[in-house]
Amino acid sequence: MIHLLRYLIRKVVFALAALVFFVSVIFALPRLIPGNPVGVLVSKLALQGQTDPARIQAVYRDFMDEFGIGLPLWEQFTGFVTQLLRGDLGTSISMYPRKVTEILAIYLPWTVALLLPAILVSWVLGNYLGALVAWRRGTLLDKLVTPILLTVSRIPFYWFAMLMLFAFAVYLRLFPIGGTYSWGLTPSLTWDFVGNYLRHYTLPFLTWVVICLGGWAVGMRSMMIYELGSDYVLSADTLGLPQRKLLRYAFRSACLPQVTELGLNFGFMLSGSLLLELVFNYRGMGSITFQALSALDYPLIQGIFIVLAAAVILANLAVDFIYGFIDPRIRTGHLRR
Amino acid sequence: MGNARLVVSAALFLAVVLFGLAGRWAYPVDPVSRVGGKLQTPSWEHPLGTDVQGRDVLAQLIHGTGTSLSIGITASVIAVAIAIVVGVISGYRGGLMDDSLMASANVVLAFPVILLLLVVAVFVPVRSPMVVALLIGFTSWPGLARAIRSQIMSLKEREFVFLSRMTGCGGVRIAFVDLLPNMMTYVFTSSVVIMSAAMLAEAGLSMIGVGVTKGTSLGTMLFWAQLSDAVRRGLFWWFIPPGGVLTVACASLLLLATALDQFFNPRLKER
Repeated sequence: MIHLLRYLIRKVVFALAALVFFVSVIFALPRLIPGNPVGVLVSKLALQGQTDPARIQAVYRDFMDEFGIGLPLWEQFTGFVTQLLRGDLGTSISMYPRKVTEILAIYLPWTVALLLPAILVSWVLGNYLGALVAWRRGTLLDKLVTPILLTVSRIPFYWFAMLMLFAFAVYLRLFPIGGTYSWGLTPSLTWDFVGNYLRHYTLPFLTWVVICLGGWAVGMRSMMIYELGSDYVLSADTLGLPQRKLLRYAFRSACLPQVTELGLNFGFMLSGSLLLELVFNYRGMGSITFQALSALDYPLIQGIFIVLAAAVILANLAVDFIYGFIDPRIRTGHLRR
Repeated sequence: MGNARLVVSAALFLAVVLFGLAGRWAYPVDPVSRVGGKLQTPSWEHPLGTDVQGRDVLAQLIHGTGTSLSIGITASVIAVAIAIVVGVISGYRGGLMDDSLMASANVVLAFPVILLLLVVAVFVPVRSPMVVALLIGFTSWPGLARAIRSQIMSLKEREFVFLSRMTGCGGVRIAFVDLLPNMMTYVFTSSVVIMSAAMLAEAGLSMIGVGVTKGTSLGTMLFWAQLSDAVRRGLFWWFIPPGGVLTVACASLLLLATALDQFFNPRLKER
């Protein structure tokens, strides 16, 4: 138990260190630019057609205050951190005077609703599929399915999403051509809305599952082949254990590295889902990122950065925790990871 | 069998390179200026049609392929250089140096490059392909660095290293002259994989608007196609070619990597 505890504490410390690192980066970058960052940001407001000088003045003063320009750097930093700890991500420039947290609270749930189920379904399905083709390796099934999985996992996924949208929504008209729900509906827990949402949801969801599936299955296949050839499986086989049991033993060991991969790939999958949302015109972090970038809305981008970084850190921490409980070697201190 | 794979993948990749480099002479059309009507379907005059601003899609594809390839190569060279330095120091020195280098590798490994580019995008609104290549390169080294580190750690216990040490060779000489050449084939194969990943990353980043903004790359083509709703409007001649070239380039690079692996490592041939 002491080993497990030590392992968990180490992981938490690492996560906190990573968080501190990213907060420092997001604090330092705008201030490294020569000149006054607020001046640069607010001048972009003027470029977007905001010409009322009184209003620009007001915005300018607000942001000078928020950034703490003029104070010593150390006080700027403590101010920045206390603001963050209070859950305040500042005020948006392009949607002034709305708060960044307010905007993100609208978009984040839609991304979570798409991303999490897709990741879990593709991971579970991919692992089972990979184990199946490894078990039946050399047969027609393996020779047919494995190359397909390999090919799909290597097509640029954002382009694959475009092809899916083109084929199934534009050409075959089986699904709506993008969006989150139809015009005129307001999100609510009625059959009407949920049904409409699910019709929009299906194609991006399936696309994302198919894209991720191949990678998991290919990884699982080689892991399973390795485990099935290892000594403990061979000796269990000579002892006459039923094949199902061998498969289960090998599967459990082969799952461990897949759990680690899940954590490592989370950041990649998160940024991938932003692109996917963009292609499917799905309302979420992807569309707000695109909007924030085209308006060069720094506070909003900073908020997106912090939310994404925190999500990656939390996902990795969660995976590390799960790993601590499912890998007996950590509990007994036989594996230093 | 292994050699056939090597030849096929190398030929495919060379075809893409040739398309990106020699295409400009064979098809000397300016990719950025208006040459015809808007959104024309493919014709003899414009084999891949025109885009929403009346620019020739084939010309864009040729120049975009060249740009994407050079981004891939630059990012790969940068990433490999960092990976070698970090991996060798980390594996050879060990101790606190190793711990801190590997901790930073883990952070970079888990974090998508889009986070870095998000912030850069605000303050560097005009980004040339080289800037993007640099940033992708600076975030693509951890995987290779970890592999080099573990190989150095196992190699440094071998006899030939003790022999070098006994004859008075310094750590730097041992690490770079005695140890590193043992894994150059592996490093080369990995650099091919990193190159394909960098090309994929460029297109994705440019498509969401944090990548290349100056010049034409496969990513900027997808960006404009996406911005103009090309998929929903059925403008297949515009959004399919850039992804197709990217797929061929990356698939051939990955195939090349496995073929090179088998070529350098004949023991793997059984598979």
